[in-house]
Amino acid sequence: MGKSIVERAYYLMKLGRVFEERAKEEYMKGNIAGFLHLAIGEEAVHVGATLAFGKGDLFVHYREHVWALARGMSPKTVMAELFGKKTGVSKGKGGSMHLFDPAFNFYGGNAIVGAHLPHAVGAAYARKYLGHSEGVLVAFGDGATNAGNYYESLNLASLWELPVLFLNENNFYAIGTRVDRASAVKELYKKAKEFMPAVRIDGMNFFEVFDAVSKAKEYIETEGKPYYIEALTYRYEPHSMSDPGDYRSPRELKVFHDKDPVEFLKKEGIKRGLLTQEFIKQIDERVEKEVEEAVQFALKSPEPEDKELYTDIFCEVCTDVVP
Amino acid sequence: MLYREALNKALDEMMEKDETVVILGEDVGFYGGNYRVTEGLYAKYGEKRAIDTPIAENSIVGNAIGMAIGGLRPVAEIMTVNFILIAMDQIVNQMAKLRYMSGGKVELPMVVRTPQGVSKQLAAQHSQSLERFFTSTPGLITMVASDATAAYYGLKYAIELDDPVIFLEHELLYPMKMEIQERKDFDPFKADVVKEGKDITVVSYLKMLHDTLQAVSVIEKELGVSVEVINLHSLNPLDMETISKSVKKTGRFVIVTEEPKTGSFAGEIVSKVTEELFYQLDAPPLRICGEDVPTPYNRKLELLSIPTPDKIAKQIIYWGRENGI
Amino acid sequence: MEYKVVMPQLTDTMEEGKIVRWLKKEGDYVKKDEPLVEIESDKAVMEVPSMREGVLVKILAEEGEELPVGQPIAVIETEVEKAKEEVGKPVEVKKEEKPPEKRKEKVEIKVEGIKPPEKIKLPEGSASPSARKLAGELGLNLKELQGKGEIPTPAHEKDIKEYFYKKFFTKSALDILKEYNLDPEDVYKEIGKKKIDKTDLERYIKTKNIPITQKPSDIQSVLIKNLSKSTQIPVYYITHQFDISLILKQEKYTITAYIIKIFGDVMQDHPKIRTVYRNGMFYTYPSSNISVAISVGEELFNPTIKNVETKSLKQVYEDLQNLREKSKEKKLTVEDIQGATFSISNLGMFGIKQFFPVIPPFHSGIAGIGVAVDGIISVSFTFDHRVVNGVQAAQFVIELEKRMKDQKYIKSLK
Repeated sequence: MGKSIVERAYYLMKLGRVFEERAKEEYMKGNIAGFLHLAIGEEAVHVGATLAFGKGDLFVHYREHVWALARGMSPKTVMAELFGKKTGVSKGKGGSMHLFDPAFNFYGGNAIVGAHLPHAVGAAYARKYLGHSEGVLVAFGDGATNAGNYYESLNLASLWELPVLFLNENNFYAIGTRVDRASAVKELYKKAKEFMPAVRIDGMNFFEVFDAVSKAKEYIETEGKPYYIEALTYRYEPHSMSDPGDYRSPRELKVFHDKDPVEFLKKEGIKRGLLTQEFIKQIDERVEKEVEEAVQFALKSPEPEDKELYTDIFCEVCTDVVP
Repeated sequence: MLYREALNKALDEMMEKDETVVILGEDVGFYGGNYRVTEGLYAKYGEKRAIDTPIAENSIVGNAIGMAIGGLRPVAEIMTVNFILIAMDQIVNQMAKLRYMSGGKVELPMVVRTPQGVSKQLAAQHSQSLERFFTSTPGLITMVASDATAAYYGLKYAIELDDPVIFLEHELLYPMKMEIQERKDFDPFKADVVKEGKDITVVSYLKMLHDTLQAVSVIEKELGVSVEVINLHSLNPLDMETISKSVKKTGRFVIVTEEPKTGSFAGEIVSKVTEELFYQLDAPPLRICGEDVPTPYNRKLELLSIPTPDKIAKQIIYWGRENGI
Repeated sequence: MEYKVVMPQLTDTMEEGKIVRWLKKEGDYVKKDEPLVEIESDKAVMEVPSMREGVLVKILAEEGEELPVGQPIAVIETEVEKAKEEVGKPVEVKKEEKPPEKRKEKVEIKVEGIKPPEKIKLPEGSASPSARKLAGELGLNLKELQGKGEIPTPAHEKDIKEYFYKKFFTKSALDILKEYNLDPEDVYKEIGKKKIDKTDLERYIKTKNIPITQKPSDIQSVLIKNLSKSTQIPVYYITHQFDISLILKQEKYTITAYIIKIFGDVMQDHPKIRTVYRNGMFYTYPSSNISVAISVGEELFNPTIKNVETKSLKQVYEDLQNLREKSKEKKLTVEDIQGATFSISNLGMFGIKQFFPVIPPFHSGIAGIGVAVDGIISVSFTFDHRVVNGVQAAQFVIELEKRMKDQKYIKSLK
């Protein structure tokens, strides 16, 4: 693994971390509203998978800020979206759960658990049909593996031999229900094994995520078949801002805090000679500045105009036709 | 007492009274419900009666149907109405039709509880009012609980019914402080005249009822009329008797709902009023509804997309002046 | 740098929160993400961590306080050196640091800006269904009348009614309809005449024997309620003739004023007349407070002249006049109608010789005064037997007679 990739990874993971901590603060101040789901603790999965996967279509759940930033979307427009401003990636109409940008092959931001899995299968079908070589990545939580959409998608991706990478971010909780109280098969990757190659990895370890996704990408794009990764990870924050999160023990929290993915990458990067203290300091300062700039940008951005209520419902042609 | 506590009290009393009553849904047990409606029931009745399910709405409703067939009285909670769409096959093809298809031999004493409506900046996939889907499905009873009294007595009534009930709540009502009025004779199929008047009949329910009541005094002052307000507890069956009696008196009908206007339940109720009371009407019926757009995240746009007390007052005043008041 | 900790928004619907417990005290060093305070939102109690590292120099909200989202609740000094000086110092929270407007969303209803509706040009004959129905029932040709501009287009029920009333009833007939609360449409159909005037209506009312219906006024309602209560009082009657020729000679004040004054004086020696029975208890009052029946139109008032024993005859007379005025203007206060133990009603001025008045509740008795014939008046007393027995009543009556014949006493009344 090259030095530049690790440096990039550190920058993106730190950006994601600081961005989300600040988002939490801005929520408490009342600048952000609605549901805010933070991915603090899951950065290695989001950044590792994005860097390894390249530019292929990406379908994600509602805990997607870091995915969006890792894809290259600007912290300014993402923060502005959280603030509900006109300059946000979705013009202030979508909010935290609905970040979209086809320029980055980024298709949400979906707030219905498991609903985007069939989209990924369909997108892979279309790309294959149109002769593209790149696969499709779909990320979902442990909760989604108990929904009907999940099995239907695994079956069809396999049956139709489509290049889909199913990335299960198992953070152990579907809001307040622990995975073993919701799933009969406790090792989730086994719920895919009959359909496709499936592995379980440590999602707190950037290197492991990057390697596994690189390998998976190669497989789906050369074989033209789906692949499944279960990444064990953890959200340090509760499910959303309004969840007290008191269903998790302090001991459990400590175990995972000790595995903090950002700290791990820092330590391991230095050990392997891929990162330096000086570089880290530089990045930390840069990230603080970028996030501050994003907040200022969002604060100063205008609200969408009233007429925006009725825009973007149909394409321009249809808007003319449909009164 | 909070609105959500009235629901909790109803569930608790029914579970206490009848051990075939069980609740099921996402986080309803150990966690106490995402809106804390089922708080304490897991501790009191155990995991066999406060059943945590995975995120699998199709199964939640489908399993509840099976439980009802098997001799229980299940109360399924769908976290929000937005997720009920995943269970629509079970609701429309199964729950609503089993009694009829079986020539009346299969009975489904069950309730599906769910909150709907626009809360605060939850965006398009979490801010919907979908009563139209239920009220237009033959075989379903659709109840709405607009206050603590309707929540408490209505839910108990629904659980005791031997037919499937969709029981709609509203996310913004949960933390509202209100009291349960003593109403031993509460009948959800009779609407309440919550305010008497003689010139305009306004029908509403859930959050919009509260917004309507806030607008009433301004409307009365501005138009120099008195407004009658009717609170529905059930959308289907609909208590046309109470509505009809009122419209015969006032000659003017307004319905206020939060759902988008096109194809709305509001449209259905206007049709009924027009069909039954055409010659009594002294003004065209008025629908005050949400806009025909997915709900936007931005707060300003969000408030533009639904009726508010201010908009309700303005629209009724304008309409009144336009129609000879 | 001073960092203001504000009441955090913790849920999507939260508008205000309660400080449950401070987990740090003033002067404590807090790390970022370290639990700072417990807050109760609309959903649950949550630990809120510090967003900054520094020293908690000031707590601005006490435990148990409920505050809107956005309101400052504490100050953290992020420069540790500076913090040492700041701890415990009063921190000024400027007045303008109110929570941002949008936090607590107020329901505001503004109706000034409503545009007047656009006049829609509709063809003649346009009307609301109920207006059209009514016009049909009344046999009006809507299209024609709208063409002539006698009924607006589109027409509503009230337009038809207004037209109909004006067209088919004279002004005085409309007033009668209102007085008798009659439905013009029914009357019109029944009389079957083109234009109905006052005479038609009066005949109609006579033939049908239609009553004027009226609700009792609030004061009348109270009186009715009290009269019903009076029937439950066990009473007996005494009639006595009084020679008042001495009083008649004075001619300075009204007979009623004299009688009130004399009764008030005598009552001082007869505690039972100053006694009322109420809820299982006897109440004996020191003052001679006498209520007087005053009728104004349909209504009857019973205001009280207080402390008659200490007042001059002139004062009693003036009080009486004053209360009459107040009754007429309906300005009697609660104070004016309370406190009497005995009542006087005079129908003598109308020439009535004798009548038996109904005792008002919470009185020992009432006296009904008849007209003077050859210097003699007939007074009928109604007594509450629970309070005053026959002997006590007789003693009171005899004493009254003595006083009326006492030349010196009567002359002394000024």
